[in-house]
Amino acid sequence: MLRSIEEVETRFGREGYIADRTLATTVYLAVALGKPIFLEGEPGVGKTEVAKVMAQVLDTDLIRLQCYEGLDANTALYEWNYPRQMLEMRLEEARGIEKQEIGRSIFSEDFLLKRPLLRAIQGSGSNPPVLLIDEVDRSDEEFEAFLLEVLSDFQITIPEIGTISAQKVPFAVLTSNRTRELHDALKRRCLYLWIDYPTFRKEMEIVASRVPRIQTGLAQQVCGFMQLMRTRDFYKRPGIAETIDWALALMQMEIDELDSDTVNATLGCVLKYKEDIEKLQEDGLPQIIEKARALKDRAMRLKN
Amino acid sequence: MNTEKVENRSMMGRVVAFSRALHRAGVDVNSGNLIDFCQSFRFIEIGRRGDFYAAARATLVSRFDDLETFDRVFHAFWSAPISTMEMEVTDEDADDQNLEVSDQLDEPVDTVSEEEEEPEGEGDSDEIGYSPDEVLMHKDLAAMNDKEIEKARQVIAQIVDIIANRRSRRREPQKRGVEIDFRRTWRRNALYGRDGVALARRRRRIKKTKLMLLCDVSGSMDCYSQFLIQFIYALKREIRDVEVGVFSTRMTPISRLLKNKSVEESLREVADTVHDWAGGTDIGGCLREFNDRFAREMLKAKTVMIIVSDGWDRGDADLMRREMERLRRRVHKLMWLNPLLGSPGYQPLCLGMKTALPYLDHFMAAHNLESLVQLAKTLRSVWR
Repeated sequence: MLRSIEEVETRFGREGYIADRTLATTVYLAVALGKPIFLEGEPGVGKTEVAKVMAQVLDTDLIRLQCYEGLDANTALYEWNYPRQMLEMRLEEARGIEKQEIGRSIFSEDFLLKRPLLRAIQGSGSNPPVLLIDEVDRSDEEFEAFLLEVLSDFQITIPEIGTISAQKVPFAVLTSNRTRELHDALKRRCLYLWIDYPTFRKEMEIVASRVPRIQTGLAQQVCGFMQLMRTRDFYKRPGIAETIDWALALMQMEIDELDSDTVNATLGCVLKYKEDIEKLQEDGLPQIIEKARALKDRAMRLKN
Repeated sequence: MNTEKVENRSMMGRVVAFSRALHRAGVDVNSGNLIDFCQSFRFIEIGRRGDFYAAARATLVSRFDDLETFDRVFHAFWSAPISTMEMEVTDEDADDQNLEVSDQLDEPVDTVSEEEEEPEGEGDSDEIGYSPDEVLMHKDLAAMNDKEIEKARQVIAQIVDIIANRRSRRREPQKRGVEIDFRRTWRRNALYGRDGVALARRRRRIKKTKLMLLCDVSGSMDCYSQFLIQFIYALKREIRDVEVGVFSTRMTPISRLLKNKSVEESLREVADTVHDWAGGTDIGGCLREFNDRFAREMLKAKTVMIIVSDGWDRGDADLMRREMERLRRRVHKLMWLNPLLGSPGYQPLCLGMKTALPYLDHFMAAHNLESLVQLAKTLRSVWR
């Protein structure tokens, strides 16, 4: 278990996730208070990653529920395995087994298809699992209400079996890209954390930990470039995932100095929309590259 | 012991006072969350400002929009200022910290110059101005005879039908539905034994959309009021729960006025109540007023919002961008009907329209019958 904020920081760091003090404090409090975390932020700032790393840190299963419009209780919680039940019934009838007995056997756990929420509540391992409810903003209001119920009690009732409640409350992480505001009641149950784009320094640390063999000079240019990109207006601004992809790509190509040609050739790693790429190519790409290189030089000087 | 208790009490007092300060600044703190905050004291060192700040932020705030206000109140209330920066710095290598890109960005980067350009653009659009001739050319909807009005009424009813009766992704039982409902089939047959298999069927449920209509009633839109009246009529027939607001330089909700009365009658009354009917336009300001005062009460996550306006805006473009963004997050779909869009050669060049465009799901013409039919077709293909 995590006993202090510092421990969260170091354990996360060991798994390659650079957690700042605010994030570490929030995660620690979520564990201590037994509350879900509600993460918001632009796409690609590492929201989902928090849950994944948490599962590794706690040495437990990660159970993921991806939300979409129309997601309902049957897909999120449980469903009876109807074809199997039917087959079983026919078989047992042929064997001449009592009707009541059949009823009991086909509504047992063997015939239950366990969906993510039920699995999280039952928990199979010794440690309570990490439950990741991804992109809640994509689900609809009905599901939000349902989620509210599950997250407050961590128990569910299956009429044929009875009430199942969590022995240990799972560590729940909800993420949202903020395409819409969630209902206040749901948010009140959670600890709220807004994850921003990383600072230059933090991004350097992340790159260093995820792309260990990268040259410092290249990493500085890449991160500087990304920082500058995020000050501009794009349909989709590059996140950390893009930084790492790009750094890996540049390393594969054995490049250690950014120039217009290489950036143009690898721009697909950074921007994912044709309009964004055109916008950048038409306006200001050389300046950004130059600034990124100047930034590297300055960083180098500071270091020496 | 005793002193500790006293200290505790004064700490609680401070916390409660802090939550009041937040409330005064417009960030509502739920008492449950306040208790969470107090409970977190057991786990953190209150002496460490950074941790204390993080704990307060995690427990007391739940909306991105509130973060800025929260920070301001926090720093003011717990006097000695603490910057977010400070928390990221570990004491050792404070030197390194100078290398914050942000301080380099103070130098002229492209964004800065872009901002500088903006006011010029605004000036341009102001000069374009508004020509009465142009409006006359497209006065189509206003200048219709009775027969045409009847036709328009039908088309509008179709459009509204599409908007109002969306197919949800959720299912509901239906005798002759296309899909087989396996769950119910099985349940039904389990009850009656195995004689024959009666298939239960289902279909996608119809989702009654909540609708919010914002109508521009400024001078440039005056000639389209007939269209507006018809549109509101049709909406009211199809959807019981429709909210209507009119704006030009101020936002006025008129749903209440529209109850119990015919639309013409109510609009006349509205014209009396709304002092700025057929005046100038400040879309950004009106949207802010709407977001601040009415959105919480009138909008649900499922709401489809329709703005009927020509987009001639004399207000602040930045403000409008910000408010459009806020609005976009609160509604399910955002549509803009523009009576000018249909005119040949019209491009959404005026600043207001240009600013709004990125946030719209649909941007459509609404100037004559033909465009209305087209609108119906588009909606049907997109939403069904």
